[in-house]
Amino acid sequence: MFRDTSQIEAYNRFAIRAAQAQLWNEAIFRWKQVINVDPDDAKAHNNLGVAYEAVGNMDEAIAAYERAAELEPGNKYYRLNYRRCRIHLRRSGRDGEDASQPDEELPPTEQ
Amino acid sequence: MQITKFLTASFRLASGAGKFGILLAVLTLCGCGNAVTRVSIPVKVQSEIDISRYSNFAILPFVVEKQTAHNEKLPEEIGEEIAAILRRGLARQKHFEVVSTQETARLLTGETVGEEWLSDTEHLSQLGEYFEVKGIIIGSFRFYSDNRPRRYYGERYSVQRQRYVMDYQDYMQKTYLLSLRVIIIDVETEQIIWDKAYRRSTAEAHTIGSFIFSQAGPQANIIRELGKRAVSEFTRQISPHYEREDRYLVN
Repeated sequence: MFRDTSQIEAYNRFAIRAAQAQLWNEAIFRWKQVINVDPDDAKAHNNLGVAYEAVGNMDEAIAAYERAAELEPGNKYYRLNYRRCRIHLRRSGRDGEDASQPDEELPPTEQ
Repeated sequence: MQITKFLTASFRLASGAGKFGILLAVLTLCGCGNAVTRVSIPVKVQSEIDISRYSNFAILPFVVEKQTAHNEKLPEEIGEEIAAILRRGLARQKHFEVVSTQETARLLTGETVGEEWLSDTEHLSQLGEYFEVKGIIIGSFRFYSDNRPRRYYGERYSVQRQRYVMDYQDYMQKTYLLSLRVIIIDVETEQIIWDKAYRRSTAEAHTIGSFIFSQAGPQANIIRELGKRAVSEFTRQISPHYEREDRYLVN
């Protein structure tokens, strides 16, 4: 589907523009395609997590954030998104686990 | 000779730093490294009360807290007006049903809501059964103003000195404060399930002349405005609503 990495980058940028325009379903579609080609693309997993969270698909959002943090444990933005998502879940009473210490569930950072 | 060498070395160093700066700028422009885009997403915030249980309310007129000596002279109907603002606010939420102002007035005929009602949960619970609601909302408010002399520093052009000079102006700052206490009583268990105070303030600047007029002028509009703001926060807390939160997309 993608000939080189620059096409993946362009696809990601397009998806970000869609997300900025609040076209979350379009963004989800794009990032899913990026992940289909490169399942280890951490930023696509993170961005997909944000998009899932925006449409209220919380379980998949958490899974996507966790995957992103697993692939790139040192990235502070992935951890930040994940933490905020867990805090939101806890506040809304939908989180069965204790979200006050979400960092403990993530792989340790390399920083 | 020494000076020439030193100058040459300094120039080379500066030239190297310049090149490094240009390289850094090019890398940044090319998007090397993780560029981040901040987006705000809608996040659903749940009600702080059990809305499946407390689906309908009767709202009683709010009472003035009498023990406070600083209370301004307030019109009698202001407590009822605050209750009406709250009724309108809650009636807009699809999760709640509220007993109308006319119905409340009709059912409360002959009764005078006083400060002693705030602690009489048994009586309020009986009233709730009479209204056929799950929860009774009652509350009190305190309104007062605080006056302080202030000094505003600015600049003015001095013709004599031909330049701007520091200057100041004295004025009176009048701050109005409204403290609104909102209580929800569970009709079935006679328990207080919500008891929070909401404080709102607004300030205005006065000269001596306008300050004297403001002391004598009506303050009902200010209370209404502050009441709306306090009530809106309470309504937001007990209703599910959306807020926006930032997340980070990585380019």
